[in-house]
Amino acid sequence: MQPLTAPSGLPRSAAGRGLRRWGLAPRARPPLPLLIVGLVVAALSVLPIVYLGIRAAGTDADAVAFLLRPRTIAVLGSTVALGLIVGAGTIAIGLPIAWLTTRTDLPGRRWWTVLTVVPLAIPSYVLGFAFVAAFGPRGALQSLLEPLGVQRLPDVYGLPGAACVLILASYPYVLLAARAGMLREDRSVEEAARTLGDTRRMVFRRVTMPLLGPAIAAGTLLAVLYALSDFGAVSLLQFDSFSRAIYLQYRATFDRSLAAILALVLLGLTLVVTFGEARLRRRAREFAGRPARRPVESVTLGRWRWPAVAFVAAVVGLALVVPAVTIAFWLIRALGQGETFRVGLEPILGSLGTAAAAAVLATVLALPVALLVARHPGRPGRIVERVSYGAFALPGIVVALALVFVATTALPVLYQTLALLIGAYAVRFLAEAVGPVRATLARTGLRLEEAGRTLGDGPVRAFARLTLPVVRPAILAGAALVFLSVVKELPMALILGPIGFETLATEIWSTTSEGFYARAAGPAAVLLVLSAGAMAVLLRDDAR
Amino acid sequence: MSAVRVPTGQPVPALRIAGLERVYGSIVALSGVDLEVRQAEMLTVLGPSGCGKTTVLRLVAGLEQPDAGTIEIAGRRVTGPGGSVPPERRRVGMVFQDYALFPHLSVADNVAYGIRRDPDRAVRVAELLELVNLPDAGDRMPHELSGGMQQRVAMARALAPRPDIVLLDEPFSNLDAALRTQLRGDLREILRAAGASAILVTHDQDEALTLGDRMAVMVRGRIEQCDPPEIVYGEPATPFVATFVGTGNLVHADCRLGVGMTRLGPVRLVGASARIAGGALAVIRPEHVELEEAADGPAEAGAWRVVRRRFTGSEILLEVEAPDGLRLWCEAGPAVRRLRIGDAVRLRLRDVETVAFAPSRTHQPAAAEPAPVAAEAVVER
Repeated sequence: MQPLTAPSGLPRSAAGRGLRRWGLAPRARPPLPLLIVGLVVAALSVLPIVYLGIRAAGTDADAVAFLLRPRTIAVLGSTVALGLIVGAGTIAIGLPIAWLTTRTDLPGRRWWTVLTVVPLAIPSYVLGFAFVAAFGPRGALQSLLEPLGVQRLPDVYGLPGAACVLILASYPYVLLAARAGMLREDRSVEEAARTLGDTRRMVFRRVTMPLLGPAIAAGTLLAVLYALSDFGAVSLLQFDSFSRAIYLQYRATFDRSLAAILALVLLGLTLVVTFGEARLRRRAREFAGRPARRPVESVTLGRWRWPAVAFVAAVVGLALVVPAVTIAFWLIRALGQGETFRVGLEPILGSLGTAAAAAVLATVLALPVALLVARHPGRPGRIVERVSYGAFALPGIVVALALVFVATTALPVLYQTLALLIGAYAVRFLAEAVGPVRATLARTGLRLEEAGRTLGDGPVRAFARLTLPVVRPAILAGAALVFLSVVKELPMALILGPIGFETLATEIWSTTSEGFYARAAGPAAVLLVLSAGAMAVLLRDDAR
Repeated sequence: MSAVRVPTGQPVPALRIAGLERVYGSIVALSGVDLEVRQAEMLTVLGPSGCGKTTVLRLVAGLEQPDAGTIEIAGRRVTGPGGSVPPERRRVGMVFQDYALFPHLSVADNVAYGIRRDPDRAVRVAELLELVNLPDAGDRMPHELSGGMQQRVAMARALAPRPDIVLLDEPFSNLDAALRTQLRGDLREILRAAGASAILVTHDQDEALTLGDRMAVMVRGRIEQCDPPEIVYGEPATPFVATFVGTGNLVHADCRLGVGMTRLGPVRLVGASARIAGGALAVIRPEHVELEEAADGPAEAGAWRVVRRRFTGSEILLEVEAPDGLRLWCEAGPAVRRLRIGDAVRLRLRDVETVAFAPSRTHQPAAAEPAPVAAEAVVER
């Protein structure tokens, strides 16, 4: 719930005009610098997409015929199927875990609460690598079983593998949404239903589920969005969803307009899902109200205790233990066989350098944008806010492709430069840097600065001395989020990076694609350590 | 309402509670509570927060189980040795402190929740919304309503299935003062019109005094007294009740033959306290004392002096102090409204009936957290 800052009706009233003339209502209209930064950022996020549309429209080939090709239809079909399976799968895993960790006496509840959310920090391609390198042909399991005469394992590639990996990577979205809803529900609402004649089971059907429904649906759509946008897992598991098809089309042919057309279809698909998610989230907020004074009583599992633990442990095992063990297995094997084992310095520097630069740039842009959004409610602020969140929801492959078109035609100077990549990251992940800062600004309000003004500070000095220190932790948290996202990002690094440029992500992806699991294990381990570090910083800030 | 009557003509009470006990770990929430609510009666339960009054409601509703004791609703035993009826089959209507409206259902659907099998539920819902004076609110959602409206929807929802008893848990505590007074009257009328029997628990003594046909005063899991409000005020059963309900001064009195001699004069003792012989504490209410302005001079060296003044709008209370330190709250009549702090006064007891507590009962300590009024009452040292 965002508290309103300045009453937006004020400036229109006569009193408001009078105040402004006296310089006492400085918040009525956004200062020009804030407005400029905000609108430039918004333009930077939107223009590439517009350009993508222009490019697609200008194709020589028959766009409609291309769209109606059996292959395009097949890709659309498999993408939708993937989305549906991931949606169903994440509910099947996320909902029971949410219930078990909030409303039952599950043994080790606290530990499971943390462990079951951790997969959110693992990039899909690391999980994809782990699955291929563990269960694939020439994978860890195969080589362990070979002496026993097992020649073939069931195929991990294609829909089953991709769906598995994406479900394990994105079920925390459903879990978090459901858990928040379950914790927020007040006990007296369920009790009221009991006194009105409902049994426990009926209360669940008539009250609990309808109340949680929108939140869970919104969480599920986030997971679906994740699956639709994902590039890493589907490409490693060789499943033809849109992102992979776009990438192949882009790499394979000279007519990149066709890739642009595919990208636009994927864009449309994700926009529909994003829109649905936003609507459901609004609905869920209406139901939420204040936090529960008395949480719902927990259920005693009885003889279902251990089956429940087994279920949660299996999920954590697949999502966390399998990657860890696989990485360890291949690291040890690489060392043991004296295979060229090294984690090159370039990918680490590539990842850290771009991530740090993008985090700094995003943070610099985030402060004016957050000020605009939090303190100047009105059309410009709303537009900037929506656009930056929209850019965040776009699939990386679509953004990357759009920027390639912009760079090759309009800004050849920037094509294949690190500057373009870093700028693209900063704009795409801006929402992550703005979010915490905006929330803190909204919570702080103007009182501090007003107190400073009455004590003799000018507006700039009051902001620097009073508001900035309060907002600093939020700025750092935002920077950490952007850093984490950039370190994990794959398709943009792959497409926009200069020739020869490597990051940990691209290194893991390319070595896994070629089957050199031992060479992927090193970067994967480094990446996990880095993500874990950034996560720890964020969690520590959260705890404070 | 569906009054179940035994053939002899003796009405079955809407609720009968006997020997109810509830322990949370090492904390005794209820110890031996007995209560009875008659048909179409409103019983108010007054007590400081944490005294166990809400627990009583939750046990009656079946939302928690007692450790001992029995509960009968309209003559049916719902809890006792041999099992417990689940909440959905107890025929109670509960109005929760925070109303607990179902946020995903419209007002009409909220009210209809408990009567979904009733073929005439649309009529019944309209009737109830009329009763709570919200005839046009049926299509609105709970979050669109003000606190007072939400409270009335909660009332309508609880009344819809024609429960045998309505349980009201601090129904006014989330409302501002002005609205509270108005809704109090409304609530009373709604329940009368519905002919419902009800228990209302509250920590607000005005609420308990004005709304209850009878009121029970509860502290630390025990019922101290259960009587009509006039009796609770006029003849409190314990020192706690005397100081918790209304402003009460406890003044030392030598009692004999139904008369207590205090330093202010004699009082007539009624009820059980008429039989006390010897030293006791008599309850002196502010309106029992007549104040008179005293000339400020050496002759008045031993006079009482005003030390505090409390203006409530309708009346003025003055706290006066004797030279030996005893303090009393007194009502200032029209003649002495101009009295200020420091002024000397003379006190005279009116001819009043009151009660006194013999020493064996007086060392019952007052409540751990008495209401503000009680905190100012003085037990003579």
